[in-house]
Amino acid sequence: MAGQSCSQLSLFTPDEVEFMAEDELVEIVPNLRMDSLNFICGDYGPFYPQIAIQVPLWLALALKKRGKCTIRPPQWMSIDNLTQVLEGERESHAFQSLPFHYVEISRLLLDHARDDIPEIYMVRSLVEDIRDVRFHKVETNLENFTASAVTWKNMAAMEVNIIRAFSGRALQAFYRHENEQLIPDLDRTQDRQPQNLNDRPRRNLRPR
Amino acid sequence: MKIRTLKLQEAHKPSSAYGAANGSSFCSILWDQQARHLVTASSSDSGISIHDALLPSTTPKILRHHRDGVTALALSPNSTCLASGSIDNSVKLYKFPGGDFETNITRFTLPIRALAFNQSGSMLAAAGDDDGIKLINTVDGSIARVLKGHKGSVTGLAFDPMGEYLASIDSMGTVLFWELQSGTILHTLKGVAPNTGLDTSLVNILSWSPDGEMLAVPGLRNDVVMYDRDTAEKVFTLRGDHLLPLCFLSWSPNGKYMATSGLDRQVLIWDVLKKQDIDRQKFEDRICCMAWKPVGNTLAVVDVSGKYGLWESVVPSSMKSPTEDIPQSSKKTNGLMLFEEEGQEPCSSGSLGDLGEDSIGESGPPSRKRIRKRSEFDEDRSTENTIDDYGLLPQRMAPKRAREQLDKGANEELRSTAISVRSKMQEAFQPGVTPVQPGKRRFLCYNMLGTITTMEYDGYSHIEIDFHDTSRGPRVPAMTDHFGFTMACLNENGSVFANPCKGDKNMSTLMYRPFSSWANNSEWSMRFEGEEVKVVALGVHWVAAITSLNYLRIFTDGGLQKHILSLDGPAVTASGSKNQLAVVTHASNCLPSNDQVLEFHVFDIRNGTRPSRGRLPLSPGSHLIWFGFSEEGLLSSYDSKGVLRVYTSQYGGSWLPLFSANKTKKSDENYWVVGLNASKLFCIVCKSPEVFPQVMPKPILTLLDLSSPLASSDLGADVLENEFILNNLHLFQIQKRIEESSSDGRDTTDLDDEAFSTEAAQDRCILRLIASCCNSDKLVRATELVKLLTLEKSMKGAIKLVTALKLPNLADRFNNILEERMLNETKDMSEAAGVAVNQGSGLGRNGTSSEVSSEPSCIPSSSTTLSAPHFVKKVVNRGEQKGRSDHNQTAREVQPEAATRGRSTELRTTAAAAAATAAGNEESSRTSNPFFKSSSTHEGPAKESTCQRPPSNPFKKSVK
Repeated sequence: MAGQSCSQLSLFTPDEVEFMAEDELVEIVPNLRMDSLNFICGDYGPFYPQIAIQVPLWLALALKKRGKCTIRPPQWMSIDNLTQVLEGERESHAFQSLPFHYVEISRLLLDHARDDIPEIYMVRSLVEDIRDVRFHKVETNLENFTASAVTWKNMAAMEVNIIRAFSGRALQAFYRHENEQLIPDLDRTQDRQPQNLNDRPRRNLRPR
Repeated sequence: MKIRTLKLQEAHKPSSAYGAANGSSFCSILWDQQARHLVTASSSDSGISIHDALLPSTTPKILRHHRDGVTALALSPNSTCLASGSIDNSVKLYKFPGGDFETNITRFTLPIRALAFNQSGSMLAAAGDDDGIKLINTVDGSIARVLKGHKGSVTGLAFDPMGEYLASIDSMGTVLFWELQSGTILHTLKGVAPNTGLDTSLVNILSWSPDGEMLAVPGLRNDVVMYDRDTAEKVFTLRGDHLLPLCFLSWSPNGKYMATSGLDRQVLIWDVLKKQDIDRQKFEDRICCMAWKPVGNTLAVVDVSGKYGLWESVVPSSMKSPTEDIPQSSKKTNGLMLFEEEGQEPCSSGSLGDLGEDSIGESGPPSRKRIRKRSEFDEDRSTENTIDDYGLLPQRMAPKRAREQLDKGANEELRSTAISVRSKMQEAFQPGVTPVQPGKRRFLCYNMLGTITTMEYDGYSHIEIDFHDTSRGPRVPAMTDHFGFTMACLNENGSVFANPCKGDKNMSTLMYRPFSSWANNSEWSMRFEGEEVKVVALGVHWVAAITSLNYLRIFTDGGLQKHILSLDGPAVTASGSKNQLAVVTHASNCLPSNDQVLEFHVFDIRNGTRPSRGRLPLSPGSHLIWFGFSEEGLLSSYDSKGVLRVYTSQYGGSWLPLFSANKTKKSDENYWVVGLNASKLFCIVCKSPEVFPQVMPKPILTLLDLSSPLASSDLGADVLENEFILNNLHLFQIQKRIEESSSDGRDTTDLDDEAFSTEAAQDRCILRLIASCCNSDKLVRATELVKLLTLEKSMKGAIKLVTALKLPNLADRFNNILEERMLNETKDMSEAAGVAVNQGSGLGRNGTSSEVSSEPSCIPSSSTTLSAPHFVKKVVNRGEQKGRSDHNQTAREVQPEAATRGRSTELRTTAAAAAATAAGNEESSRTSNPFFKSSSTHEGPAKESTCQRPPSNPFKKSVK
């Protein structure tokens, strides 16, 4: 978790990652009749009451806040699936397959669509457990991070975000150590780059 | 002897709360007379479950009236009355199979342990931990006698089939023979059965053989002892492989076999005459009750943990069936009948009752003066009840039956029983209703607009109305319903409710609640004396109710009784939409093949007409389960075999099957139809075995594609073929609407556009079909398809397509067809132009061209040959506005192409010749266009005119 809290190490803030996750599609059941909505990202609708439809998460949440729909929690958020995933995570070193934005989606749904998720406390604790296990794995994996081929499958956005900057720099460092004479001046320019990125003024995203 | 295993199904949850120490409880199981239902109860569960034996997967009906575990059950011999005794010290009566609570017939001070009906059902014996067996008249609940003599709690009661004696057994194993007439003890057999002590899950039982000659009692040596009817002497014993004492025994209906269950968890089947066991089965738990199926070779068992199961083919097929040669005790002897009137049906009787009753009514027993008086009084009451019940039972049964039979799993069983059971006319139902489930909210009405749900409490219900579209529909406050509404209907303006009548006090009531009205207190209700509302429907400014007297009553939404019509037969269902009311009635009794004979009538309430009527088709052996209008206002029906039909005026009015659940269905899903539109069916998908949705969680509508039941063709383009048929239907509907609205003088522009886009879609579909025809070498079919294309552009597309597919032969043909068509069009046009010129010259003597062009606007008054005058006017306008540019444009488009084609010159000359005869100048040829349009209004989509014009162009050129 250390990486998550330290914004210096990651490329994006959790808020930003969450913002990106809001483009994921979820299924909602509207309770109103509405013509289709035309957005830059695409056209959604028309909406008919009691007929399920797929919309981006941000739209789902906007409708949900106005009491215009119920959100159908995605398949992977079922208790059965989560328990299975948690077991899998605990048993093996590999990451179980979960949606790329599982942390953000589950967080948003658990925060804003409480009444639509059956057994919400169970789901919440399962997701938290899974997240903890996986973050722990990420950190332990970093300990034996070497220059040799690194293949981490099924990593989620938040997890990648934690290690993105670090691993990039680490790989560069490895590379530099191996070919010291080839790129003497690279560390001046590229090494700083992530930090420069982090130094830029951050736009605070409006919390949901 | 092979050991089979039988899978048991849980009916009652075992709970240690009031069961015996080991968590086991005494459970009871019963068949009804016709083996349609199984009734189970458990001493650890206050609910009595009525399972549908034909459809075991459906959720049982649960009667929760007792406050504590149910220890004893009894069904009257005609299966119309169910009695239950409970640890809560009460004995209750219910109607059967409806399950409506009738009365608390008696109360004890201690738990009830045993119940028994006598052979006529007029008397109920009840006993338990109290001392004394109560004999109760079932009709008025009076206690005829209390028989005292047992020391312990009485656990078993049995009326002798001949009606003379009552045998009882207590927990200490003492058997008493009572004479009913005098109420005295004839014989006392002390300690002949095991002493069961205080374990209430274990009861002593005894049973008369069906012929009444012997009484079977569990013996002390893990055996069954038979005692003689009159002398109470031991006749013989059945001894065999039971290792522990018996806990239940049951005679097969014919008395040839007996099933016994022991504490050793075995069930043995005995051949009674040979005194030998013929089969056995081991169970996981102790079987505490068993019942032979009255028809068929099946034994129902229930164990102490509340699980029940059916042991099929108990008696080997080599032996006589357990239901063969059932002794007719009442014919053999004139046994005592407490109520001896002819044809009387004691207790309450529903429609099921009359089959098995004959044998009882025929007997002429000796008169019993003492009881006689009461029985005369009773007769009056019971006949009254009978009348009520005939009205009541079907209504309540309706929705449940209707849904239940969807279950396909039970189909085979259903079929086999359908032969033995007389086929039954379908009961009235309300579209979109779900059956009563105790303790759960249910839908009274579910349509595309919203829902009406109800939940029953003690003596009242709580009704809620919700609209799917929460932003549009009005908010309707929940209401408390003291009538017990079972029928409801909902539309934008209001809701209507109705209840069946319950006895004399509670008359059938119809109530209308408008959602918004300018006046206060604008809800109204009507009461019906001596008749009962069966179905309600709702439309714009009218409310319809169909009653048991087959009256169709139409009210305005203000409550004015506007029309009362007599319908042809008993109503099945009804549905309203705008001005139209559609009613389904029975045309006659069902066919022997169990097919319903239904008829539908469509009424136009505003105009007071009946636009259509006819037979309502159903799949063989099915019944109607949903009926309503599609969003476009087409009448639709859905039957229990999962076939959706839509009524069209094609072929003089016929039903087209547009959806079949069997074709699309995943095996574990049932579809509960809510509505449909032109291309989709809206339904709620229920996971099998559920056949109807629950109120919570809120069901979600699923859209399914309509699909005609196409034969699997060699083309392999089912999707396209289906689309083709649906488009055709759609097109037909639009054209019909265009005709209608144009004859009403309304603007048809929107419809024209719609028709055009549908035609374009249809052409696209046809082109793809042509492609697949060509690919599979069905050239004749492709040619037929080309003829169906409407737009010239798509015909040319077809020609290009076949050229690309290297089928020059076909391309040639297509060209011919195209030319032929263009030729015909020119001819039509020239004829039309000829007519126009004639008329023009007839009306305007001096017939200048400018007058002819302005003619159409004044023609309507004078000309009758033109079918749609206003249409002409519109096209003229359009023609004048953009005609010019269109002409030129299309001319430019078409001419080069035509010129390249070899035959174009020929075409042009004929076209020119035809046109030349029509008129002499360009102006008149332009006016001829509108006329041509008017003569072909069916095809008249707006933009088509551009395609039809080209033929006039060659002419134009030739003139120049």
